[in-house]
Amino acid sequence: MTTQEILDGLKQAVIDGDEDSAASFAAQAIDAEIKPMDIIKGAINPAMDVVGQAFEDGDAYLPELILAGDAARAALDLIIPTISTDDLDGSVQGTVVIGTIYGDAHDIGKNIVSAILAAHGIKVVDLGINVSPKQYIEAAFAEDADVIAISSLITTSLPYHREVINNLVDRGERDKFFVVVGGGPVTAEWTTQIGADGYGRDARDAALVVTQLLEGLAEGNKAPLAAPILVGALEHG
Amino acid sequence: MKNKPDILEVLHRATTGEYCTQKEWDTKKIPLTISRILKEHGLAKTCDMENPVNMDMELADKFYAAGYQAALELGYLCTDTDRIIAVSQEELDDALKHAPSELTVGEGKDATVLKARTPSDPYPLKAATSLGITLSEDIYADMAYLIANEREVDILEAGSLTTIHGYEVLSGTPTETRMGYEHGVMHREARRKAGRPGMGGMGSISAITEYGQFGAYGTPGGFRNTDLALILFPSEMKVDYRTLHKVVHTLNMGGIMKCDSPGMIGGMPGPAEGAVISSIACALLSYAILHTHVGGGEIYDVRYLATVNREGLWALSMTNQALSRNTHTLVHNISNQVSGPGTENLLREIAAGVSIIAASGASLTTGPRSAGGKLNDFVTPLECRFLAEVAHAASPMELSKVNEVVKALLPKYEDSIKEPDLGVPFQKAYNMETLEPTPEWEAAYRKVKAECIELGIPLDA
Repeated sequence: MTTQEILDGLKQAVIDGDEDSAASFAAQAIDAEIKPMDIIKGAINPAMDVVGQAFEDGDAYLPELILAGDAARAALDLIIPTISTDDLDGSVQGTVVIGTIYGDAHDIGKNIVSAILAAHGIKVVDLGINVSPKQYIEAAFAEDADVIAISSLITTSLPYHREVINNLVDRGERDKFFVVVGGGPVTAEWTTQIGADGYGRDARDAALVVTQLLEGLAEGNKAPLAAPILVGALEHG
Repeated sequence: MKNKPDILEVLHRATTGEYCTQKEWDTKKIPLTISRILKEHGLAKTCDMENPVNMDMELADKFYAAGYQAALELGYLCTDTDRIIAVSQEELDDALKHAPSELTVGEGKDATVLKARTPSDPYPLKAATSLGITLSEDIYADMAYLIANEREVDILEAGSLTTIHGYEVLSGTPTETRMGYEHGVMHREARRKAGRPGMGGMGSISAITEYGQFGAYGTPGGFRNTDLALILFPSEMKVDYRTLHKVVHTLNMGGIMKCDSPGMIGGMPGPAEGAVISSIACALLSYAILHTHVGGGEIYDVRYLATVNREGLWALSMTNQALSRNTHTLVHNISNQVSGPGTENLLREIAAGVSIIAASGASLTTGPRSAGGKLNDFVTPLECRFLAEVAHAASPMELSKVNEVVKALLPKYEDSIKEPDLGVPFQKAYNMETLEPTPEWEAAYRKVKAECIELGIPLDA
């Protein structure tokens, strides 16, 4: 099989949400000594762009997006360990622990963000729904995470966002993780008020915030930011 | 004939039903089953973007048959146990047979009677307002009173609270239990102050978990058992112990309940047609599994975070028509707006969504979702009044006429659905001294109302 055929096969496997096939093509690509970043840029990222655009256009739906994200993750699990520092070439690397905050069982937005981040080669640890502030922090330390991403659709769960940040501050470890927030009732004002590092109005915005934070991390930025990164915020009276 | 399962049998099935992980349910079971049923019934790509109101009753009946099949094939997933709560055809039929077709909400002369309706039924769609948009504690009492004081409004839901006596409410903790109680008492007081002590209520919208509901519903001075217990559960077709706690509590109180969860366009069931099937199935199962008195049929488009876009409106019309033509149940629905208070487009979005719900045969609507329901204090009594006026006036309208009205309204707002004008909060849309709408907001209301009358909604009748 030629290099192009392997990359095309991997791209299609991700688009189809076929984890086994994606892992198989990823293994073949590594055996064929294709550079890891060429695999990601030549197959995985374009595949997720195709699925993401189809979702925007109404030609694909949430299950396809989630399954494509899973397939991309299956391939990346094999590819990432082979990446050397020289390969990085300015690409975004990092680990994000993500979940829907305590008291809230809504997971659609969180799932979309997870899928998009995974497709960009970012390690995503999904903590699920109803995640307590303590669980976020414990998981962030256990995974050596860079970012804690908190999703909410319920207003009375918002105070738990602040609790995550206050808990980090009280432990003297606020500088260990960026904290990003998003979801229906979350606003730019709330993000600033609680001292979070980022906010995205929709899933794509949130993924963009995380990648910007990780890029900043590579350039030496540390948490907490003096002012949060706000993407997609709507103005109101 | 086998009866619908007793609630204890439902709880038993929640621990003994077929094992299925949430991932399997979300990414395989729901999408593959819905997609296959869509094809089997020849319903794929039937959404007509040019005509947001379905006028083909045979098609509505086909969607009902597909939704009924989906209900029997799927059941609900209990996410706390990863078990499927399924029902047999006999059990489902028994539940639908014995579901109420008439229900009194509230007490005495102030009560509202919900009745099963069919499309263009002259008996009016009843309006519960507003949705549970969060309100600052210092305006909650005024807001709830002002909404209850709008005589067109049938049932008071009002907003939700995030603080009590200045303390933040943390969902799932005892502060929520206390908040539920305080919310219930304030809600009752608002109805009394408006001179409608027997007015029906719905709540508690502030109760995110079962704790808030335990504090609010059935407690002395709080929501009565003649008020509707509000029980929302996650999409698609998922329940959890939180939901089931609320159901059991309502039954313990001898109360009445509205249980619902939307079919998500763009979500697990896929396109608008899939969301309609999912929504119908979800509504039917709520009578058999949750023992509800009022069922859902809601639609929400996850791509637009609204239901007032073309596909959302079409799906709303189809779901309501399918359920109202083929059952004698009390169908509830919501049209989810995105524009905010003080804007003309909020009123146009209300007119489009609610006229469809009314003429398509629903019994109860709740709303509005001003500013998408996302911003604190972004709701006013004026749009609640307008929603109720449209609900009542549009009920007997012919579907073809509603289609014309909606086709005229859509071009005025649809380009801004993704970037809506969020308007202003209550404190800026109303004069806080007189508690009346500002002249600008009142003028916008009069303008859009006149526009709707001109288009054919008999708001002047």
